[in-house]
Amino acid sequence: MQDFFFIAFPYIALTLAVGVGIYRYFIHRFTYSSLSSQLVEKRQLFWGSVPWHYGITLILIAHLLPWIFPGASRAVLGNQTRLAVLEVTGIALGLYCVFGIVTLIARRLPNDSPARAVTSPMDWILLLVLAYQVLSGVGIAMFERWGAAWYLSTAVPWLRSLATLHPNADTVTGLPIFIQTHFISGFVLILLFPFTRLVHIFAIPFEYLWRPYQVVIWNRDPQMRQLPVLHEIETFPHTAPLAPCEVQRRQLLTRLGILVGGISAAIVGIPSLAFLLGLRKVPEVWRTLGAADSFPIGETVQVSFLDSTPLPWSGVTAKTAAWLRREGPQQFIAFSINCTHLGCPVRWLPNANLFMCPCHGGVFYKDGTVASGPPPKPLATYPVRLRDGNVEILTTGLPITTV
Amino acid sequence: MRLLKQLWRWFDEVTGFSKSLGPVLTHPVPRARRSRWFYVFGSATLTAFLIQVVTGIALSSAYVTGSGQAYDSLHFINSFPIGRVVRGIHYFGASAMIILIGLHTIRVYLMGAYKYPRQVNWLTGAGLLLFTLLMAFTGQLLRWDQIGFWTAVVAAEQAGRAPLIGNWLGHFILAGNTAGGATLSRFFAAHVFFIPALIFVFLAVHLYLVVYNGISEPPEAGRPVDPRTYRGWYHELLQREGIPFWPHAAWRDLLFGTIVVVCVFLLALLVGPPELGNPPDPSIVSASPRPDWYFMWYFALLSLIPKWSERWVIIMGPMLFGLFLILVPILGGRGERSPLRRPWSIVLVASVIAVVAHYWAMGIRAPWSPRLDAPPLPAAVVGVTSGPIADGARVFYDKGCEYCHTVSGYGGIRGPDLSDAGDRMSPAQMATRIFSGAENMPSYRGELSEGELNSLLAFLASRHIVQPPKPPVLRTER
Repeated sequence: MQDFFFIAFPYIALTLAVGVGIYRYFIHRFTYSSLSSQLVEKRQLFWGSVPWHYGITLILIAHLLPWIFPGASRAVLGNQTRLAVLEVTGIALGLYCVFGIVTLIARRLPNDSPARAVTSPMDWILLLVLAYQVLSGVGIAMFERWGAAWYLSTAVPWLRSLATLHPNADTVTGLPIFIQTHFISGFVLILLFPFTRLVHIFAIPFEYLWRPYQVVIWNRDPQMRQLPVLHEIETFPHTAPLAPCEVQRRQLLTRLGILVGGISAAIVGIPSLAFLLGLRKVPEVWRTLGAADSFPIGETVQVSFLDSTPLPWSGVTAKTAAWLRREGPQQFIAFSINCTHLGCPVRWLPNANLFMCPCHGGVFYKDGTVASGPPPKPLATYPVRLRDGNVEILTTGLPITTV
Repeated sequence: MRLLKQLWRWFDEVTGFSKSLGPVLTHPVPRARRSRWFYVFGSATLTAFLIQVVTGIALSSAYVTGSGQAYDSLHFINSFPIGRVVRGIHYFGASAMIILIGLHTIRVYLMGAYKYPRQVNWLTGAGLLLFTLLMAFTGQLLRWDQIGFWTAVVAAEQAGRAPLIGNWLGHFILAGNTAGGATLSRFFAAHVFFIPALIFVFLAVHLYLVVYNGISEPPEAGRPVDPRTYRGWYHELLQREGIPFWPHAAWRDLLFGTIVVVCVFLLALLVGPPELGNPPDPSIVSASPRPDWYFMWYFALLSLIPKWSERWVIIMGPMLFGLFLILVPILGGRGERSPLRRPWSIVLVASVIAVVAHYWAMGIRAPWSPRLDAPPLPAAVVGVTSGPIADGARVFYDKGCEYCHTVSGYGGIRGPDLSDAGDRMSPAQMATRIFSGAENMPSYRGELSEGELNSLLAFLASRHIVQPPKPPVLRTER
């Protein structure tokens, strides 16, 4: 049953959404319409529509980003403060949306509301599903906390598995039913896309951003009632004025051309970009540095070891160097050679018991703390362990100082 | 000869080149009069870029893009005299391109040539400036000796200061969690394919716009640009006194470009390419990474700005520079063009040049860097060969004091010169400073035994500058 809801149903919903959407766009293009209610009621529409659209756009983006960049999102959310800020922002936006959708529903509800007259049954279904979606979302945010974090290890792997055609719902089937309904109703919304006014998402009027603004003035002067006739429609130079159907045809062909070109670019570009971004995952492995007894107590010596992914063509660059200090019979500490300022290699001065950096003059004490100069924090350390009398080091990679 | 002419006529007839491109070549340009030689920097930058394309292709035919082999392949290229020359041309061509694009930017900025209708000329030029700097940075790295290797690390660390995505970005630049096998290929792709492709695209738009909008006429004080009338006025100017670009203006570009090529070639021949340093082995820790000359000033800047400001400067500095380049034509798209009526532009250019020159000079001296190769003080400087003062001189060297402090011309210059320490401070004051350390000096508490401290103080107290006898003071009788 869960396989149906989390594997079959999403694909059905997507197929229908795309299939019916394309079918209607090309075959029954002008059956798309949604009766405007702005003409009959404006004030409530403003208070409902504005919070709803701004809120839901940001929330959708927040849902989409971790899905596309899971690694970067994990890095961002690794910090508790950022996670808390994001959660609070999310709940605030969610409540903003709830306010919007409730207002939008309320203005259509009263029997005498003029908006009710232009509300189709499909509009009601859509409004209800949308309302459920945001309410359950806010509910999850409040009662199943830190969703921004667990989303990454539950819904994201599932959605990615769907996208890569290797569906695997294991990460979501164990979640509370309440959360699962949020996922399912999300796909219900996708299913509803081509059947409802939701398609307007694909017609976001971006031209509004750069076209000159227009002022709509209600024509109150009876003498001006006669509407100006649009004599000139968009024409191509050097050609006779075109019939309206020809204009539409040209517009359609232009848009089709852009769409086809965009799809081609995406087919080539997305795998290339994914390859470029995907080269960086490396495991961390333990490397043996030598017998523990070969390191005198109280001394800091340079050690070098292979990084975790030496490649056949890495040559000498496969090495990583570290400063290993034996503090006691069982205690070892391994400092990164990279200055925390800008990564230059620090040198150990055994007589002075100091690390010095040749680039900008950073100095560290023997315990790695900053002695002087620009470094913002102590030398990074590698995890070290003793195993069978050997010292082993974990190849955690180049420590990068972040703000 | 006649055959060639016939061939050309046939070729031209079927391609229409002289019909379509001829007018482009001979399009009228305004007379530049006194400032005519200022108009050559753009085409000279293009010349330098073409030098880079040609020599770059030649070098790439022998360069091996493997972190383990690139260094050896450069030695291979170096082993042929002609290989050294080509490397030299590529290096000095890069230097020339940086200088020329800088001069071109300054010329366009001072003459206000970025104003209407040439705003996009400027914006594409700003992109080209940015790409040129990126090429310089990645090119230095591709030398892939010890310094090239550490440049990659420094690049990743700087990217690490970006908010939120810093860690990810740093590792993305390295193509892994450490600088190693995968790193070099990434920079090679950037230097050889990605950035050059962007340069070609921007260059095409830039040149198209130069022809479409026409080259700017020399500015004149009291003749502001008004977008409503400018194009008409400019058209009239061309009709009245325009001269065909080819050959009346182009010969200067050709001459100057040839001088650039000859200079680059001579420098490559006489000075040669930058020598390769140690191999890119991260386990050789005795490395002193330094950027090539064009980034020396930035290297110095990062050492000398206050510590708290660094995290802002590393990220915000380049972004503000980019923002400035974008805002210049947007906010200043009209009005006076003459630098005489825009005195602040002169002040700005002069201060940028002064700041860069100052930091550049500082970067070459790098006073903040400890001189880790300073030799122990010779007996002639110490004055004695045994006793506490001689012991103290040894401690002064062993404990690293000499890396940062000069005594009689030996040692580093990060800290104060201690040649006359005995004249300036009492032993108690010295001991306090040695124990407490300072912003740029480590504390030596717990690092010196009593004997070591005493001999160090004895050594420092013995540092005097022999004062020349004071001239007799003339007294006037009352």
